[in-house]
Amino acid sequence: MEELFGVPMNLIMAFLLAVFLPALAVVAILGWRNPIMLKIALRNIPRRRAQSVLIVVGIMLSSVIMSTAFGTGDTINHSIRTEAVEILGPVDEIIFSARASSGDIFGTNPYFPESRVQELRDALAGIEEVDGITPGIGEIVPVVNSRTLLSAGRARIVGVDSGSFEGFGFFRLTSGDAARLEDLEWSEAYINDKAAEELGAVPGDELSLKMAGLDDTPFRIKGVVDRGGLAGDAATVIIPLGRAQALFDRPDQVNSIVVSNRGDEIDGAGFSEEVTKLIRAHFADPDVAAELKSLLSQEELLEPLKRLGGSGEGNLEDDLQELVTELAKPQVTNTLISLLADDQVQSAIREALEDGGLDEQGRLASTLLANLGSFRVLEVKRVALDVADQVASGVTTFFIILGLFSIMVGVLLIFLIFVMLAAARRTEMGMARALGAKRSHLVQMFVFEGTAYALVSAAIGVLIGLGVSALIVTVVNRFIGAFEDDFQFTNHPTARSAIVAYCLGMLISFGTVAFSAYRVSRMNIVTAIRGLPEPLVLPAQRSLLTRLLGIVRALVRPLIFAYRAAKSAVHLQLSNAALNAGLTILWLLIFPIWIVDINVAWWRFLWPYLLHGWLTVVLGSLITWWGVEIEGAALFRIGGTLAIIGVGLLIRSFLRRTNVRAEVRERIAFTFMGVVNLVFWILPFSTLRAVAGDLEGGPEMFFISGISMVAAAVWTIMYNSDLMLKGISFISGRFGKMRPVLVTAVAYPMSAKFRTGLTLAMFALVIFTLIVVSILTEAFSTTSDRVALATGGWDIEGTIAPGTPISDIALAIEDKPSLSGENFQAVGGYTSISFQARQVDAESLEWQWYRVRAADDRFLAETEYKIKLVADGYGPSSRDVWEALRRDPSVVVVDAMVVPSRGGFGDNEIQFQLEGFFYEDDDFAPVEIEVRDPLSGRVSQLTVIGVLDVVSDNFGNIGFGMFAGRSMLDDATPREVPITRYRFKVSRDIEASVAARDLEAAFRDNGMETEVLAEVVEEQNSANRAFNNLFTAYMGMGLLVGIAALGVISLRSVVERRQQIGVQRAIGYRRGMIQLSFLLESSFVALLGIAIGLGLGTILSYNIVKDIREQVGIETLRFSMPWLQITVIIVVAYVFSLLTTFLPARQASRIHPAEALRYE
Amino acid sequence: MQDLIIAAHSLHKTYDTGSVSVHALRGVDLEVARGEMVAIMGPSGCGKTTLLNCLSGLDEIDGGEVIIDGVVLHGLADDQRSDYRARRMGFVFQLYNLLPVLSSVENVEMPLLVSGVGAREARLRSLELLDLVGLSDRAAHLPGELSGGQRQRVTIARALVNEPAIVWADEPTGDLDSETAGEIIDLMTGLNRTNGQTFVLVTHAREVGDRAHRIVRMRDGMIVEDGHGSC
Repeated sequence: MEELFGVPMNLIMAFLLAVFLPALAVVAILGWRNPIMLKIALRNIPRRRAQSVLIVVGIMLSSVIMSTAFGTGDTINHSIRTEAVEILGPVDEIIFSARASSGDIFGTNPYFPESRVQELRDALAGIEEVDGITPGIGEIVPVVNSRTLLSAGRARIVGVDSGSFEGFGFFRLTSGDAARLEDLEWSEAYINDKAAEELGAVPGDELSLKMAGLDDTPFRIKGVVDRGGLAGDAATVIIPLGRAQALFDRPDQVNSIVVSNRGDEIDGAGFSEEVTKLIRAHFADPDVAAELKSLLSQEELLEPLKRLGGSGEGNLEDDLQELVTELAKPQVTNTLISLLADDQVQSAIREALEDGGLDEQGRLASTLLANLGSFRVLEVKRVALDVADQVASGVTTFFIILGLFSIMVGVLLIFLIFVMLAAARRTEMGMARALGAKRSHLVQMFVFEGTAYALVSAAIGVLIGLGVSALIVTVVNRFIGAFEDDFQFTNHPTARSAIVAYCLGMLISFGTVAFSAYRVSRMNIVTAIRGLPEPLVLPAQRSLLTRLLGIVRALVRPLIFAYRAAKSAVHLQLSNAALNAGLTILWLLIFPIWIVDINVAWWRFLWPYLLHGWLTVVLGSLITWWGVEIEGAALFRIGGTLAIIGVGLLIRSFLRRTNVRAEVRERIAFTFMGVVNLVFWILPFSTLRAVAGDLEGGPEMFFISGISMVAAAVWTIMYNSDLMLKGISFISGRFGKMRPVLVTAVAYPMSAKFRTGLTLAMFALVIFTLIVVSILTEAFSTTSDRVALATGGWDIEGTIAPGTPISDIALAIEDKPSLSGENFQAVGGYTSISFQARQVDAESLEWQWYRVRAADDRFLAETEYKIKLVADGYGPSSRDVWEALRRDPSVVVVDAMVVPSRGGFGDNEIQFQLEGFFYEDDDFAPVEIEVRDPLSGRVSQLTVIGVLDVVSDNFGNIGFGMFAGRSMLDDATPREVPITRYRFKVSRDIEASVAARDLEAAFRDNGMETEVLAEVVEEQNSANRAFNNLFTAYMGMGLLVGIAALGVISLRSVVERRQQIGVQRAIGYRRGMIQLSFLLESSFVALLGIAIGLGLGTILSYNIVKDIREQVGIETLRFSMPWLQITVIIVVAYVFSLLTTFLPARQASRIHPAEALRYE
Repeated sequence: MQDLIIAAHSLHKTYDTGSVSVHALRGVDLEVARGEMVAIMGPSGCGKTTLLNCLSGLDEIDGGEVIIDGVVLHGLADDQRSDYRARRMGFVFQLYNLLPVLSSVENVEMPLLVSGVGAREARLRSLELLDLVGLSDRAAHLPGELSGGQRQRVTIARALVNEPAIVWADEPTGDLDSETAGEIIDLMTGLNRTNGQTFVLVTHAREVGDRAHRIVRMRDGMIVEDGHGSC
């Protein structure tokens, strides 16, 4: 994996190491200066081994999550790259003709004279980045093995030139020997192992090639070669180029050129951009260049180009200036052609004309630029490797975002652990303070201990994370194995990712420990020694001057450190000098630390005003306003939350001036903040939209919502815990002997509000996440009406080889003795063709690739694809739109993927995008577009009159592209375009899978391959479900933390309450009652957490589902509770929390009363 | 013949800390009559608290026998002993040992609830007891909100709420100033007198011992003197 959140991983690693190593060095120096504190810290670790183990488990979680995410990303990256390299072998670029030639048939690349290859060789001679150029022929033809009768409907027949094989290695037989094309007789061929597998073929078998209008051509299999490179990845038959030219009647012609770059199979891709530029320049059409020259030389067009040339950057600026110079020359120079063929220059020309408002000329220039290349150059290797990087980076980012909850919960646990450790050692620390230890010594002591834990935990965490990622890869391979035979992920984590995960995990723990250490060091010495509760005295407010000086100090902090270092050096206090010198370097080298330092000083300055409330209200309102302005949901919500907290603080400040009792005052203010924030966060999105207009939010909103809702709920509960206690006390009155157990089980956690609140928040957060993911997965899972929407009512799709078309499918079915027309309720056909398209009145003038699905009349008459958006004047029903397509060849229906969406599904790979309306709108005005046939350059005008429902073709996974009537092709392309895809609706009582098999057998000579569409939808959806379950399990790791937290709390409670347990035993509590009391206590926290998570998760999921249904218009989306999964989550969470508490509870019950009473 | 409520014979107790063995009780014999108030005194580490814990069944014994009101205490299973304590015994400790998360009245009613008395009845009796120790106005307060003397009064109320035959008190005035200590002793002797309950006190304080019917002095795990107090 090369990037994370768009930042190169090498940079991330360097940064983390630059923070981690100096931080560690500072800790080491502090330890060296204060060996006694280091000794105390380290000796504390083995004091309670069980507790230490739980601490390690808690701390390591963030490392586990990071390392799982990175490990999985690495594996995906490595596997896809390896696959790309295996498939493409030495092939780096493939060149096809962009001009149709006579005799070309649809479905194969246009042929061109073989002499063009030699021209290219001559042009690239001396270019050391290229080490091989070879011409070839590739055609798709149905092939049947005469012995096994197995067929490959769309086998590739590849003609390879044995004379120009240099740079491409050689074909290797599966036995390992080299396969020589020169050894092949006229009727012999090699096949690759994929073809051997599909056809059940072995050397010596005879293959029949089915070609339209010709007798079958037999070939004897000479040998089976490994797939990859020129041997192809799909089922491929390999013959010499001359034989292929004869077979397809194309003497001295080829239809592709394959280029191999210098270097090995991966390094070669590094030269791809440069090589492609050279090839494009070579193949640029001089006539089109001349037209472009005369157009761009017009003064009004030249002006914007000059302007852009003056403001461009680096090479592009030079190129544009050179372009202007070349345009001024009388003839079309080679330099001009090279410049015009350059991608970046082309973009700059379009941009200049768009910005100059020269729409008409711009449109013409854009079309000429599209026509300029007489050949298309595909950078196949570079693109494949880029895709590998993007996918891996996307998956890692996704895992990290999913893991944020668990990381957050892990951070809370570390905080909780250290706060509790501090509570346990309060007396010792009080004594240490009394004996002269400074606060900083206590902080250091905790930091030493925390660092020791974190160093070990992060290492264990990284190892476990790599194990988890290996497990995920194994599970994913099982899913993939169900529908993909040839691809498997190979576990391949990198050391760099392990280092990054380690440093990140370590730094998260380190930061949390340092913060909690700082917090616990602020104790009252007397109360600490006497074991009394900390007095509720607010720290004295710093004066305005002190706070201002704090800012100044932060601004010049490195200078202060440097001064101290110099002063210490003069006084020969070397360790002090080293420490301060280290800090100076740290502040200057890791600039963000300094920024944080300055920010902290600012916050300290503002804190009193924020606490008063008015500044918080102002700040919150500003952020809310900003959110509305930039349409950012996260900012709007965070601002709103802050403003509500501000109002609560204002209420408190106001009540302070009255004679309302402090506890009532606090209750009113804090309950207000909790309840109003909770309401604010659970409001339906439509309500907020009515107030703030459309706001956009990404996956981060899920995280922010979760944290905020849970925090508000826990906040409210903890501030009103006494009411809950009274309620439970009242109810438990009916439980007789159980009453004392119940009362103490609730009273203890409610008396330790901070730790209970934290644990409750952790538990609730985890359950919340799992519930939301489960409900959303359920909502998006397939329903029968979803299948109908996805398939457009069709049952089977049959694809045939383009060279062997069927003239009339209905008649053909009647003619086949094995088929009966009665078995099919309807049959329609279409052809999917690559065109280029652009919107007439759009901002962008560029032609973008898009597919056209030209459908025959029967398809249009029978299809049930739902039209989500109908253009004015063409409705109201979907049928009306399809009928319009039957009547009018100039109207089309586009799929949802090319229409912008407010709901967020528009982010996809399709470059062509319409503008001016949204998918969520109720209607739209017909949109004028142009489509361009890339082979003939012919441009036609079309009108978009409908937008397909987003669920169509299972969200575009079965197929995509605009639908048009077939007669649209009469104008759009001069080519003869046969129907290559057929859709069938089977009659009632006919099994689709049986009918599909019959169709394949009957149309074997046409190379028909069928798919049952409902099965495809179900397969895709079950894969989605499986992935969702995998993600749920991954997120469930946070549950471990919640459970560990309960374990830690229980263990600590047993220690802290030893004496009280003695009293309880003395006054008659049985052992079982003590044990039950502890179990009930953690049950209370766990069940309350489960209830909060379940309730809030359900509400948020309901809001999300409702909003997507209403806004995005996915009507098949339904809110329903996956009770089984939810029950499993709840039971697992509860049972494991009980199991973790069981041991401490048992330990508590075994305490001997006399021994416990002696304990202090 | 005296009506004995406590009879202990040849009590032995050894604490084994792994490396060191401490013989805390070395053949202690003690008999206490019903309604008697006995003070166990002696220097630190002589075994006073250990004796009290063994007599009350809070601790196991290594040898000998404890009979409380005719019941051989260490013959009972742990749960039976817990029930017995809940019904028949009350405890007062030096550090009060109230449950900090429960209010005064909830602390007091705890032994009743443990022995299965109904919530309503338990609450009424607890309030009566708090009234008896002069703390009816502090019923809803948490221990942290009370003074040392008040906390000890709550402890005494808790010790008496189930009308125990025996009240065990371990240094009941150890953490109190002399004035408050005097009040607590007055309270206990008064209750002893009016209710006829047996009190066994472990104390360092001469003024407490002086108020008991009998003082038992210990040294090195043995009773070295068994005399009468001033009461």
